[in-house]
Amino acid sequence: MNMERLRKYRDRTMLWACLGAYGFTILYPLYLMVITSLKSTREIFTDPFGLPERLNLQNYLTLFETSRYDLYFINSVTVTAVSLTLIVVLAAHAAYILARYAFRFRYALYLLFVMGLILPIRLGTISLLQTMIRYGTYDSIVSLILVNTAMGIPFGVFILTDFIKMVPSELDNAARIDGCSEAGIFYHIIRPLLKPALAATALVNLIPVWNDFWFPLIFIRSDAQRTVPLATALLFGQFQTNYGLVFAVLTCASLPVIFSYLLLSRHFVKSLTLGAVKG
Amino acid sequence: MSMRRMVRKAGVILVAATVLCATGGTLFAGGSGERRPAQEEITFTSWRTEDIQRMQRINRVFMEENPDIRVIFSPVSDQEYDAQMQAAIGAGVGAEIVFVRSYDPGRVLYDSDLLEPLNQLLPQLESFPPAAIDAWGTEEGTIYAIPFVGVTHGVYYNKGIFRKHNLSVPRTWDEFIQVSRTLKEQGETVFAQGTQEGWPLYEVIYSGLGANFYGGEAARQKLLKGEMRLTDRPFVRAFEKALELEEFFPRDHSAIDYVSMQQMFGTGNAAMFIGGSWEIGIFEDLGLGDDLGWFPPPVERVGDRLQYCFHVDAGIGLSRGNSGNAAALSYLEWASTPEFAQLFMNELPGFFAYTPGNYDLNHPVASKMIDAAQDADLTVRTVWQHLSAQVPSGNELMEEALILMYNKAISPQEAAAKVQNGLNSWYPAFRN
Amino acid sequence: MNHTTSIPGTRSVWPMIALFTVPAFLIYGRFLLLPIIQSIGVSFYSGPGMNPSEFVGFDNYRNLFTRAPYNVRFWNALRNNLIFFAIVMVIQNAFGFFMAVLLTRPGKGVHTMRILSFLPTTLSVIVVGFLFNMILNPTWGIFNEMLRIIGLEQFIHPWLGDPKTALPIVSIAVSWQFLGESILFYTAGIDSISPEILEAGKIDGVSFFQEIWHLILPSLVPIIGIVTIMIFVGDFTQFDIVYAMTTTRGNPAYGTDIFGSLFYRAAFQSPSRGGWGLGMGATVSTIMSLMVFLGVSFWLFIFNRQKKRFFQD
Repeated sequence: MNMERLRKYRDRTMLWACLGAYGFTILYPLYLMVITSLKSTREIFTDPFGLPERLNLQNYLTLFETSRYDLYFINSVTVTAVSLTLIVVLAAHAAYILARYAFRFRYALYLLFVMGLILPIRLGTISLLQTMIRYGTYDSIVSLILVNTAMGIPFGVFILTDFIKMVPSELDNAARIDGCSEAGIFYHIIRPLLKPALAATALVNLIPVWNDFWFPLIFIRSDAQRTVPLATALLFGQFQTNYGLVFAVLTCASLPVIFSYLLLSRHFVKSLTLGAVKG
Repeated sequence: MSMRRMVRKAGVILVAATVLCATGGTLFAGGSGERRPAQEEITFTSWRTEDIQRMQRINRVFMEENPDIRVIFSPVSDQEYDAQMQAAIGAGVGAEIVFVRSYDPGRVLYDSDLLEPLNQLLPQLESFPPAAIDAWGTEEGTIYAIPFVGVTHGVYYNKGIFRKHNLSVPRTWDEFIQVSRTLKEQGETVFAQGTQEGWPLYEVIYSGLGANFYGGEAARQKLLKGEMRLTDRPFVRAFEKALELEEFFPRDHSAIDYVSMQQMFGTGNAAMFIGGSWEIGIFEDLGLGDDLGWFPPPVERVGDRLQYCFHVDAGIGLSRGNSGNAAALSYLEWASTPEFAQLFMNELPGFFAYTPGNYDLNHPVASKMIDAAQDADLTVRTVWQHLSAQVPSGNELMEEALILMYNKAISPQEAAAKVQNGLNSWYPAFRN
Repeated sequence: MNHTTSIPGTRSVWPMIALFTVPAFLIYGRFLLLPIIQSIGVSFYSGPGMNPSEFVGFDNYRNLFTRAPYNVRFWNALRNNLIFFAIVMVIQNAFGFFMAVLLTRPGKGVHTMRILSFLPTTLSVIVVGFLFNMILNPTWGIFNEMLRIIGLEQFIHPWLGDPKTALPIVSIAVSWQFLGESILFYTAGIDSISPEILEAGKIDGVSFFQEIWHLILPSLVPIIGIVTIMIFVGDFTQFDIVYAMTTTRGNPAYGTDIFGSLFYRAAFQSPSRGGWGLGMGATVSTIMSLMVFLGVSFWLFIFNRQKKRFFQD
């Protein structure tokens, strides 16, 4: 019995040691990022590990004074909100049809959508750039909304079709008998049941859309249209020799994401797990 | 829900989607999303994001004189500048006023018709130095940018550290090495030099310091004509001389990037920095102040004439479709005056305007740089002109070869051969 | 098919089918499918500017595979990309699996760690790249400083300057960021193994490692496949990390140049900075598409067979 307990104790300690070490490698770089952003350049050199002597927000003040960070943030929010809404709405409608109606080419259409899961949209960049120039959407966040939406639709269609299929069709038929129209079935019967799946679709796309750097780098030029990741890279270049300021830039780019993740973490993990299991 | 309502609802989605596809662009139209004010707005772009505040101060002077014009300075990072210029101007959303690189890198723009010729619009350009005009024009004499500023290459030093070890400024290469050795023996970081990025190695060390060894402008001209190769003795020697400095570079120099180099020297942690004149402002911002000293590239023997790499750096061009843009034209008009040049040089010491005029160079380091040009043959970076027009470009080859050389992967001879072989594949004068 | 409705007189449903599917397909087709196909088209053209117009057939491909400097860059990127993929795949699968096994044990703090493990994945790759860059900075970076403090001075190294270590370091940065993703997938997989199986194992008295090998691993084979495919597609189109850590040139001397950075340079930079024109750029992206396609098919094939083998056991 004693042996048993000892072993259990040993296992527990091992487990915690592993988890602790891993936790440290995750948190320490982020911790360094935040505290360095609160230091003056001199402090960074003389005391790279210590806490700042006093709370010094000078780097942040400089950052907000010299750049239009509020604007970049609004742009990122706009791109993300509009793209996610479009993805969810468009994919849900298409998924309903694909799950419920038999028509010619139905399976082909489904396959075509699902193919997008493994097609990296970056590989179409050259043609997309030409298209955006032609459409007059080059150098506008509209271009980012369009590509992000296109990128998110395959997963949305895939996951939502699966979900709608799980809704018993008896519900549809009952509604039909009650005189509900075909579209009405979607809006009144399916959609309410779909809410968790819709949220999952949005959450799964949230991170790649918010963090997209490639397309802003290629499509966006003017200051007024920059998103946070693009601005981060440019500000990094602009402030390069002022390390405290550079870390303030990195912190500003990360904190909103970190906070919203921690707030929504339960839903996040659930949604992503859902994607993982279905995928 | 009735069928009709359903159709309407779905129709809204469809319309929204198509509206986004088709007209989204005009709704949000890039950059000038806000309603156009009564003021005429023009955008000025460059590859120097570090200049935002300085350029704004310069532009404020213009805006005070022209209250109906608003100038926005919106630079793009150096790495992305060339890539974005083409797409932006091609799409008609680029800035009206653009910084243009000299020779081949800038030529891409006007060869694809993205810049307006300036001969008629700004006849005063005729009076600019012809060598500078060449850097932004065609063989037929069409000028595509105001030949605006040049930069020089040399060696910065920390006066405090030199004083501490009782060292004087070296004039010859041997003295240079001697000074370096002394500093090293005294435990100082001799050069704040990194070899992670290729361009400082090529632009500043090889072209800047090497010109004295490969024979400067005369040799470069022969290279252009195909009468000399990079594998010829003088050019190889320049590679060897460049490598001689390696023992004085800081430990782990292969991982030190440009920013760390500046940081190291600017905060007083190294005795010397082989750099370009554009760095004066950076070092001042980093707090080097009165300790900042500078000397020209050391010559081989006392009495040798300095081969001085005074590189044509930036021209100011007008992007396509703006030849009738009055606001942009009046800005360009102003940008070709000595007043603008003086303002620019005050804000950005280390940039030297080609605009004809008399200037006060009140910055001690900047005036040293200009003084060095008095008794020197001027040249530009070794393979910048013509030799970088195609793939693989000379600039790229040089950077790669030098990184490899400093990392001891190849010898100076091999470095020279590597560049030469690359150029042999396309440069007409080498193809026989 | 069970739930599918096929109503007599389907005619009336057609407008709805169209209205519901067309908008999604329009955006998806126009901005994902078509561009990839059109980019393949561009790869047969040559010429300056935004719209290469001179038809050159397969010349671009011939150049890419046989002519310097194109072939040098191409094979170099392929080699680097394979190494990059191999390192990331091993770290993410091995560590991801190991951590997932730990994180599915009951215990205090396990739930918090599950949430924490995904945190880096939520960050932008750019931020992670810059952050690692600063930590590894040879002049004042905290990593070397730490080595010095714990007395391992002999291990101080120009991490991002040495061609031998730069690529592994970049791979580690990517793995650090996306490890949480594989952990998430594996924990999901382990959670979904029915408790009876594991319970049965406990009664039989199998050891911890036997449990992993015989009970957990076989049911995770499909997930290993998914994780590997994701890493494969991600790594063969990765760009951001190289941009942030070693610039679009893949310093030192193209030692970290992978397809993403090669594609960016080739397509969008000016010739003096490594640009090859849009036609060659499209050629690079077409080869990338082909590789992703072949890679994914290969993995699907292998893992389907593995799966079958495990099911036969």
